[in-house]
Formats: sequence, C-alpha cells, structure tokens
Amino acid sequence: MTAAMLYAFAALTRPSPAPSTVPGANIFTSAFILSIGIWAPVLMAFVIGVLPNPRGRYDTLIKQIAFFTNLIVLFILFVAYNQFQNFLPTLQYEENRQWLPAIGAAYHLGVDGPGILMLMLSALVGIISVLASTGIRTRVRSYFALLLLAQSCVTGAIAAHDLFVLVLFWSAATVPLALLILGWGGPRRDAAAWRLVGYWGAGTVALVLAVAGIYVATGGTSFDMEVVLKAPLGARAEVIIGLALVIAAATRLPLFPLHGWVRDVYSDAPIGVVVVVASSASRLGAYVLLRVLVAGEPDGAKLLAPLIAGLAAITVVYAAIAALRSSDIRHAAANLALVPCGVTALGLAALTPLSIAGSVLSLFAGGMASALVVSVFATLSDRAQTRNAMVLTGLAARMPKLAWLTVLAGLGVLGVPLMASFTANEMTFFGAFRTQPVGAFAVAAGLALTAIAVAVLIQRVLFGPPNPDAPAVSDSSLSETWFLGLMAGALLWVGIVPGGPKIPGTDTPLFDPGVVNQMVANIPEIASPYSGTATP
Amino acid sequence: MTKYLVLLPEALVVAGAVVVLLLARFGPSRYRRWRRALPAVAALILLAALAVELRVGADVGSYFGGGLLVDRFGLFVKAAVLLAAAVGIAVADWGAEDSMSIGLAMPMLAVFGVMVVASGGDFLSVWAGLELAGAAGVVMLATRRPDSALRLLLLGAAASALMLIGLAYVYATAGSADLGAVHAALLGVAPTLPLAVPVLVLLGALIYRASLAPLQLGAGHGLAAPSPMSIGLVAGLGAAAAVVAAVKVSVAVGAVSVAFSPYVEIVAAVAMAGGGAGALAARSPRTRIAFLVAGQTGWVIAGLATQFRGGIGATIFLLGALVVAATAAPAAAGAAGISELAVSGLGTLRPARAAALTLAMLSLAGAPPMAGFFGEFTIGAALARTGHLELLAVGLLGSLLSLVAAIGTVRVLYLQNPPDEGRRGLVALPVWTRLSAFGAIALCVVIAGYGLFANPISSLADQGAAALGLR
Repeated sequence: MTAAMLYAFAALTRPSPAPSTVPGANIFTSAFILSIGIWAPVLMAFVIGVLPNPRGRYDTLIKQIAFFTNLIVLFILFVAYNQFQNFLPTLQYEENRQWLPAIGAAYHLGVDGPGILMLMLSALVGIISVLASTGIRTRVRSYFALLLLAQSCVTGAIAAHDLFVLVLFWSAATVPLALLILGWGGPRRDAAAWRLVGYWGAGTVALVLAVAGIYVATGGTSFDMEVVLKAPLGARAEVIIGLALVIAAATRLPLFPLHGWVRDVYSDAPIGVVVVVASSASRLGAYVLLRVLVAGEPDGAKLLAPLIAGLAAITVVYAAIAALRSSDIRHAAANLALVPCGVTALGLAALTPLSIAGSVLSLFAGGMASALVVSVFATLSDRAQTRNAMVLTGLAARMPKLAWLTVLAGLGVLGVPLMASFTANEMTFFGAFRTQPVGAFAVAAGLALTAIAVAVLIQRVLFGPPNPDAPAVSDSSLSETWFLGLMAGALLWVGIVPGGPKIPGTDTPLFDPGVVNQMVANIPEIASPYSGTATP
Repeated sequence: MTKYLVLLPEALVVAGAVVVLLLARFGPSRYRRWRRALPAVAALILLAALAVELRVGADVGSYFGGGLLVDRFGLFVKAAVLLAAAVGIAVADWGAEDSMSIGLAMPMLAVFGVMVVASGGDFLSVWAGLELAGAAGVVMLATRRPDSALRLLLLGAAASALMLIGLAYVYATAGSADLGAVHAALLGVAPTLPLAVPVLVLLGALIYRASLAPLQLGAGHGLAAPSPMSIGLVAGLGAAAAVVAAVKVSVAVGAVSVAFSPYVEIVAAVAMAGGGAGALAARSPRTRIAFLVAGQTGWVIAGLATQFRGGIGATIFLLGALVVAATAAPAAAGAAGISELAVSGLGTLRPARAAALTLAMLSLAGAPPMAGFFGEFTIGAALARTGHLELLAVGLLGSLLSLVAAIGTVRVLYLQNPPDEGRRGLVALPVWTRLSAFGAIALCVVIAGYGLFANPISSLADQGAAALGLR
C-alpha cells in the first residue's frame, strides 16, 4: 500500500512525459464523447417516457433499456478514461459552441484529471443505481426516466467548463431526484424530498450568486471557466465569492451545519436514488469547490482554508458521535456517510498538491464508500424487516453475504488498507498535516471516533447474540449482491491496484491505466498558486 | 401595395377574429357540424400569420406617419404572441369553455392588441393596443364571471387613468407623443421630480397591469371559476401587452431611469418573492400557475431596471418564454386545473396534456433546462452587470419557492393515482382530441426547444433591444 502511495506521489510530482500505451487505446474516437455521455440518457429517458406500458406489461423492457443505456455510457466513458492523456495539463474531449452569446455563455465541455475520475464515478454509479432499482414495481416508466435524467444532470455538471452550463446541470439535478424520493421513498419521503429541495435549492442560490459575482468581477463578458477563473479578482472579492461557494458546496457535499437533508434522504429515499445522491451527486459540492475556488480563486481559497478545515473537522466528529448515539441503523449509516465528506473537504482546505490529489481520489473513494455504507444498511434493514439496532443483533450467521458487505462498507468509510479510501485518506492527511495541522488532527480524531462507532455498530448488528424475538431475516438477493458487490469491488480495485494492472513483466497497463495516473493530470497546475512554483 | 404586405399578419388575425364572431351570429345552420374544426382553423390562421411575420417582418419600416413601426422588437414580440395564442388555442379543452366563438375571437383580438403595442410608434398606438388587449380579457372573463370581469375592468381602468396622466405629462414635457421624439427630447434632461413623478405613475400603471392582474385570478371559485382560456388570455397575452408597453415607454423616457429604477426594483422584488410564496401557499394548479406567472413577470420587470441593451434584450427574451407558458398552461390544465384532486393522475390519463402542463409550470418556475430558466438566467446576468445583486438574490429566492410549488403539482400529476370518478366530482377530465394532443406536444417542443435554440432566439431579442435605440 505504501508502494501505491509512493507511486501516486511520484506520478503527481513528475507527470509522465509520454502517454502510457494502453492496448486498445484510440480505437474509438468521437468529437462529442462528453455530449454522448450527457445526452444519451436524456434521449433514452424520453424514449422510456413515451413508451406505452399498459398495466406494467413492459416493465422488464424498461429496466433493460435503462440498464443497457447505462452500460453503453459506461463503456463510452471508460474508453474516454482509457484514452485520456494524463501527461497533458489541458482540457480534453473539449466541445465549445456558442449558446447565449448575448451574455457570453457557451456550451463548453471538457475534462481534466479530476473530471475524468468523476466521470468514471458517475458512469459506474449509473449502472449500480439501475441494478439497485430492480425491485421497483410501481410506475416503473416514470422511475427509470427520472433516474436517467438525474444521472445525465450529474454527468453534465462534471463535464461543464462554462459556469452557465455548470449552474444549469447543477440545479437541474434537484428536480428528478426530489420527484424520485417523493414517488418511491419511504414513510418520511415528504420530509426527505422537501429538505433535499430546500438545502440544495439554497446551495444553488449561493452558487448562482457566486457565479454572478465572478461574472461581474471579470467584466461581464463571459462565463467560460478558461476566461473567468484566470482573471485576478482581488482578495476581498475572492473571499466573498468563496464564501458563497463554500455554502453551495456545504449544502451538497454535505458539511456541518448544512447537512440537514442527509438523515431523511439516506433513510427514506429508494436505494437506487440513495446510491446516486450519496456518491456522484453529492460529490459535486467538493468538485465545484475544487474547480472554481481552489483552481480559480487562490486568494479566497487561502483565506477560507481554515474555515473549510474547521467545517471538515466538525463534520467528521459530529458524524461519528451521531452514529454512535443512533439506535436506527439507517440513521447511523447516514451519519457515517458524512465522514468521507469531511476528509474530502480537508484535502481541499490544505491546499497542497498531495492533499488536493488525495481529495480528488476521495471524491471517488469517499463517494463509493458513502453510497456503499448507506445502501448496505438499507438492504440489511429491508431484509431484517426492522431498522432498530436494539432489535437487530447477531445477523452474521443468517445473512453471510450482507455481513461481508457490511464489514467492507465500514472499512471503506474508515479507510483501512486495501480500500481506495485508504490511499485517499493517507494522501490527504500527509498533505494536510503541513498546512492545516489542527484541522487534520481533528479530522483524524474524528476518524478514530468513527472507528469506534463502526466497531460498535458491526459488533452489535452482526456479531452480537442473536435476538430470538427479532423478525425473520434473509440474505441479499442476487441483484442486491451485485450492486453492493460492484461498489465494494470498485473500492477494492482502486485500493489494491491504484496504478492499474500491468502486463506481467512490463510497465504496460493491461486495460486500466490506473486511477491515480489519470486523475493527477492538471492537479499540479491547480495547486501551483499554493506551492509557490508555477509549473512550466 | 407590397409595402403594406408587412401588415398582413395583423390583417389575418383581425379578419380571423371577426369571421369567427360573425359565423357565430349569422352562420348557416350546418355551422354547428363543422364548428368543431374552428379551433384548428383559428390556430392555422395564427400560424399563417406567424409565417408571414417571420418572412416579411424582418424588413424595417415605418407606417401611418410613424404610428406603426416594423422592427426586430416588433418581430420578436409578434412572433411570440402569435405562437402563444396558436398553441393555447390548440391545447385548450373546448368543452370547458362557455362560448367557442368568444373563446377564439378574444384571444385573437388580444394578440392583435399586443401586436399594435409592439409596433406602436407613439403613445396613442401603444395605449390603444393595450386597451384592446385588456378589453378582450374583460369580455372573455365576463362570459362566465361577470364579477371578475368587472373587477378586472375597474383595475384596468384605474391603471389606464394613471397611465393617461403620465402620458399627458410626458407629452407636455417632450412636446410630442412620438416615442422616438420623446426619447430624443428627454435625452439629456435631468430626472427632476416634476418629470419623474408622472413617469413613475405611467410605469407603475403598466407594471400594475402586468404583475397584479394574474393575481386576482388566483382565487379558486369552484366550478364557477373563470374558464381556462380566459385565464390564459389575461395572465399571458394581457400581461404581455402591459410588459411590452412598459418596455417601450421605459426606453423612451430612459433619461429619467435613475428616478424610476428603485421603484421598478421594489415592484419586481415584491412580484418575484410574492409570486413564489403565493404559488407555494396555493394548492390548486390554476392558482399556482397564476402566482408563477406573477413571479416570472417580476423577473421581466426586474430586467427593466437594468436600462441597457443587454438587460432589455434579456427582458424581451424572457417575455417570449413567459407569454407562451402563461397563455397555454391554464389551457392545458383545462377545467380540471381548479383542484389538485381533479388533476391527480393526469399523467396516466392524459399524458400529452400532463407533459405540457408540467413543462409549462417548470418553465414558469424557472427550472432548468426549460425556457424560463434561460430567460431568468440572462436577466440575472444583466442584473449582476448593473450591480443589482440584492434583486438577483430576491429573484433566486422567489424562483426556489416557485420550483417547490411546481414540483408539488408535478407530483400530483404523475405520482398520485387518478381518483375514482365519483370523487372527481363535477369536474370532468379534459377531452382528448387530435388537436389538443398536437397542441400539447407543440407546447412541449416550444418550451424545451427555446433553451436548445437559445442562441438565435436571444440574438433576435438582443436585436429587438437595439431596435429600441439602446446600446
């Protein structure tokens, strides 16, 4: 594992001078590869929406359409990931067309290292969420159409390189997700949906005000990130804009005290929706903080770094204590899902190349870990017919598959060796202890508390004495095992081979060029204002 | 003769309205057999007028001694109202209207009124067009709700009186009723109180008509509620006439913008936040639509406070989205729009109509990626450029409230099961016809396509602002 970290650090500090040769690279090219990833789900959502479905006759077909749409999108974006040239610090797969020339808004898409990693997360989550939704029986057509629209919005926000496009996709994601919760959620679905809309809506207001501030401060001629984020704004303007961005990010990621939607949404949304929200959709908060604040407003980022580190520390400590005190396992899982958010925020607050890289990896690893822990406990409570931790005890023997997955989820949140979150956490902490020692120490202490919470929860629920009065339980079904296994597998894959597998005896990547290799593209440039040495 | 070809769209619209009215009074006995085709014919007439307008309206010219101007501003506004009326007539549930002839003729006359306002080169034509659009709304309302019509008439008369006082004073100060001459005369004049007060009165009256008229339709009246088309007419076409007049007058008296800008900002803020809050508090879809229209009208009025080409261009751009959604949304809901229960499960029973209503409401709420979002964003950019960030914040808050309200109705449409026929009460579901399905699909395409083709549409709106003499 240490070797993997050293490998990542080496890749970070010395970008590869030449593209890594991946067998199969460049077999598929398209000038619209990002647009395909964004708009193909929208098109298929429309097809599903107009497909006649009398008395649910074509429910299975609709699920298959959603599955294969996501599979194709995953394939296309995997090809993009595979062919991504990590030695280039520039945007790749760029598309740029005028959209609203009167205000300087353009349909500008493109990805760098962090972007391609987030795209992979979004694509993977797309297919996992469909697998997690196979149990949907009512209004199947509407459900999968909305799910595809939500995924499309998340992908669009990741690929956006124009602030107008970013706001469009960022805010558009709220509507389908809220409707999904309202239509297919649990008993407290109303509270969950309206809280989500309220918090995310407030975040959108903050984001739009920040974008408006940037737009005005840079002359009011363009929303293009290439233009507006390279213009100096002055420390005062950057701090004000940065504060708005922090509020926007804290509502979405989420961070304490703007996390009020988490418990209800993670407890009462359908599992397929929880997977999307907990992994890719919520990570957009940190992604925007990275893209706009850290990459574009260095003065603001430096001045706000202690605030962000403080929020990160409070979030982790609060999450651990709340998880410890919770008697509802879904509430406990929702609180545990906050822990990786704090680690991601700490990495961004530390503003060192290593911590930023750790934070970027944490977007993927933390997203997967959060989604896994929430969905595994949701599945467990469904299978055990209760959410009460006092009733649920000693389940390991009766649901072995779920027990394994629960343990993996807990370890994923904590970031133990062999998990992707381990590499991300270590990079973050090693980078953060130099510039944010207090914040890093507090987050580390919070992780220790989280370890206690996870241990108590797992010990009680899985390995405690069986409760003879508890309702009957059953192990996870095939589809549940698949979608939970995919998330656990992704965490393990990136944790075990962060640099990608190689053809034996060579340095040639087998089929995956390695997450840590691809994600570092452009990170040195993002971090350059903070290290004092601009990259050539 | 070819010079006057440019007036053909107006002629087509007026002729269509008159023929419909005459047919109702003097039509042959077999008229009843083919009267079912009348909405399609009316929609076709409006679309034909739109096609002619797009073909010949690109030419710039002046008619009747400067009383009517043909420019890009007029082209944009006329195209928007013609499209809105055509879609509204197509999607309407004619079973819910009391009189098909009135229901077809009055929107066409209101369209004509807006066209006159848009082309008006002097105060007289602007005022005449505005009154015509207002009168059409009153007549339409009076077919079922004489009390509502009377209220609208009184409100309109009060607004009209205030407007005339303002117009008279501006005329006396500038020495001309011609908008261009007024603009030239006031171009360097300081915004003194004696001049600012009547201008405030004038703009206040116009804005009052634009933003408050929809609100009085909000209250539900059960089965005796105004017909859907009448609400679309007043909230969409009537408000459009007032907003277009406000744009023209505010540009003409632009020199005193310093004086009226804060007032406009307050009105805009109240409309944006109040519209959103009202929509959230309401349950009936129709009432929600009325409040959503008021909220988006607030955004349009906010655009007036910017007083530069980009801001007015954004105002015109949003006006296009607003007029289409505001005119057609009540028609799409039909009589069932009076209560949530009546539209429950509409997505299952009338999918095209439910989709049209959904997109229209989301557009009015400013949800992406609908037409309203693009318009509100462009106005937001203009507000930011002119330093009105506090107004932008209020507008965003209003939009958030509107979005919550719109999601609430979408939930009822799609996520609730249709009630038993016994529970539905006396409110029938909107009737399915080929025309209504076509209209609903057309409305969806317009609202979704507005953002997709935002580049040419916003460029035309920008040219419209330039045609008003703004830089």
